[in-house]
Amino acid sequence: MANDPLSLTFSALADPTRRAILVRLAEGEATVNELAEPFDISLQAVSKHLKVLEAAGLISRGRDAQYRPCHFEPAPLEAATDWIARNRQIWTERFDQLEQHLKRMTHDKEKEKRP
Amino acid sequence: MSDAPTELGELTITRIFEARPEVVFECMTTPSHLTHFWGPIGMSTPLEGITVEPRPGGRFETVMVNDETGEEYPTNGVFVEFDPPRTFSFTEADVAGGMTTAIVFNDLGDGRTETVTHQTNVPPIFMSPEAQAGLETSFVKMDAYLATL
Repeated sequence: MANDPLSLTFSALADPTRRAILVRLAEGEATVNELAEPFDISLQAVSKHLKVLEAAGLISRGRDAQYRPCHFEPAPLEAATDWIARNRQIWTERFDQLEQHLKRMTHDKEKEKRP
Repeated sequence: MSDAPTELGELTITRIFEARPEVVFECMTTPSHLTHFWGPIGMSTPLEGITVEPRPGGRFETVMVNDETGEEYPTNGVFVEFDPPRTFSFTEADVAGGMTTAIVFNDLGDGRTETVTHQTNVPPIFMSPEAQAGLETSFVKMDAYLATL
């Protein structure tokens, strides 16, 4: 799997547990123990998910060695939504121009038909 | 034009064109047509930079050039499906971890064609119905949060 920032964001977001963790962190910082509570998974599993989120830049962690509370970092998410918006814009403009191109083709054909 | 709501990592664009599917399909897969419309506003797509090998596994490459700066944006696609005039799809391995674009050409029966363009850069393994269900509920919440930023 590619590891450019967008790919890391999208693959980090592809897991429902990780998204649930992010939704929780969007409400405010939390420790690993607090994050593990609502899920039926081990602390180790939660830690693994946090590592993936951290690698994608979607969370940062405090320096306090014992608790290391997690914070939500929205920037990569914004980059992902921006990218989607840009891509939509490109296709919309491309299709606008295809529409014009088809009109010109029809127009030229009709011209040919005329004596 | 009607657009489906956008999920993260996905894009669907629906358009209706005043031409038959054969014509629209040909325009979208023939270099001499593509050069007229492929680049979005402010970009050109010179004919010499377009490669179309019309078969599954064939190349689908373009180079978009910024009209002002001359900066070049090459795209390197490979056709997955090529089934004229019904559908074609291509993957770009170097975009956001492997983006796939699929375009379906629906014959509206009155000389018009509806195209449905679906792009996804979510790896297929995550596209299972379970993953999709998870995506939807979580992204609704995420979108609500993003709206407050």
